[in-house]
Amino acid sequence: MSNLCEEKHFNAFYLSHVKAAHNFAFYKCGDQSKSYDLVQDAFAKIWENCSQIDYSKAKTYLFTTVNNLFLNVMRHQKVVFTYAKEAPYRDQTNLNPEYLLEEEEFKTKLQKVIANLSAEQREVFLLNRIEDKKYREIAVLLNISQKTVEKRMSAALKAIRSQLDGIKI
Amino acid sequence: MTKERDILKWFNDEISSEEIKRLYPDEDFSVLEKSRFYTKQFSLPELDEEKALADFKARQKQNKPSKVVSLTFKTFFKVAAVLVVMLGLSYALFFNDASVSYSTEIAQTETFNLPDDSEVILNAKSELRFNKKTWASNRNLNLDGEAFFKVTQGKTFTVETSAGAVQVLGTEFNVKEREDYFEVTCYEGSVSVTHNTKKTILTPGKTFRVVKGEVMAVTEVIAKNPAWIIKESNFNNVPLWQVIDELEIQYGITILANAVDTSQLYTGSFTHNDRSIALQSVTIPLKLSYKIKGNTVEFYNYESH
Repeated sequence: MSNLCEEKHFNAFYLSHVKAAHNFAFYKCGDQSKSYDLVQDAFAKIWENCSQIDYSKAKTYLFTTVNNLFLNVMRHQKVVFTYAKEAPYRDQTNLNPEYLLEEEEFKTKLQKVIANLSAEQREVFLLNRIEDKKYREIAVLLNISQKTVEKRMSAALKAIRSQLDGIKI
Repeated sequence: MTKERDILKWFNDEISSEEIKRLYPDEDFSVLEKSRFYTKQFSLPELDEEKALADFKARQKQNKPSKVVSLTFKTFFKVAAVLVVMLGLSYALFFNDASVSYSTEIAQTETFNLPDDSEVILNAKSELRFNKKTWASNRNLNLDGEAFFKVTQGKTFTVETSAGAVQVLGTEFNVKEREDYFEVTCYEGSVSVTHNTKKTILTPGKTFRVVKGEVMAVTEVIAKNPAWIIKESNFNNVPLWQVIDELEIQYGITILANAVDTSQLYTGSFTHNDRSIALQSVTIPLKLSYKIKGNTVEFYNYESH
């Protein structure tokens, strides 16, 4: 039975989850340095309460804490996402300027729609899309029911469709 | 709503893109398909896990709550407190005189570094004082005269003069405080000048000038350093009396100018190396002439002689 109060175990726990927690915080707040602080603070909470946290539940505790800290501190802040530099177009054989322009427009609008989703919808959508997580896995991670995950995902997809459908394809 | 369920299944990889299109041939899924494609390209923050862990440890150390000290340490602390007081007292007695001052005479300049490595070049007939002991916590200087500062980054750096205070964090600027004349020019970074409780922020190239209590507009300078550093004095629409003061300081002469209008404005420069060339560069553009008697120079109008 591993104990989180032992530095060796804590370090291992930290290293195996920091990246995922950091991304998770980023989906919520869309800001690299803020998500970094959120995650460090969440780990600090775990370190402080190491004796009371069961190792098997520590991961859930970590994500829940990131979630709570986010709600306390920055729920109302503006979210901005960017694309990785030089991201390829969907149809790379089509270099028609009109097509490129339309795709750029679509990408910009997509950023905005996703930034404007509620934090709950966005985290579900991005965990599913970016990390290829199944609804079941997301439910376990966030400690909510799969039904709730599906509801949020559905709402996110609806928002995307209704706000982006006006664009010519 | 089976369609909604099927779309959810599609996003959960339970059914493929081909399948969903076959199930709903009339439905346009291109927005969702594009969204699936481009969302994958969102840039994610970069993270070096090992570095983050090291940073985490560092943060923990900083925030460590102070431990409760048990009663048995009480006597130890009493002794320690007495020692601290004694050490403090002797320190204060032995190193009391921490005030440092630099000064220059007529026609002299001096270059030196402050304890934080900020560079100061003191122009002729100027004095600079500061407290060495409190310098680390309080970068405060008193200036009487003219100096050029290259301040290293750090706590607020304040130059106090009788005409006003100049505050910066790290930058290059020149302060000139002579009788009835106060001028601050910023060469790099930004400088805050407080004059008569009014605060002005200077950006590079900007000058704040007060002549006889009046703030004057000054055109922007392009130079990287004040001209006096290369042994020249440079003026831009400055009253003649101020130029005369500067000539007197740089050459140790007395100038009699009762016969001329000393409020007229002068634009130009004079060298610090050759007295007659310097006098000519000031007088000729203003249509003045001069006579030298020993250490006294008299200015007069061309036409009147």
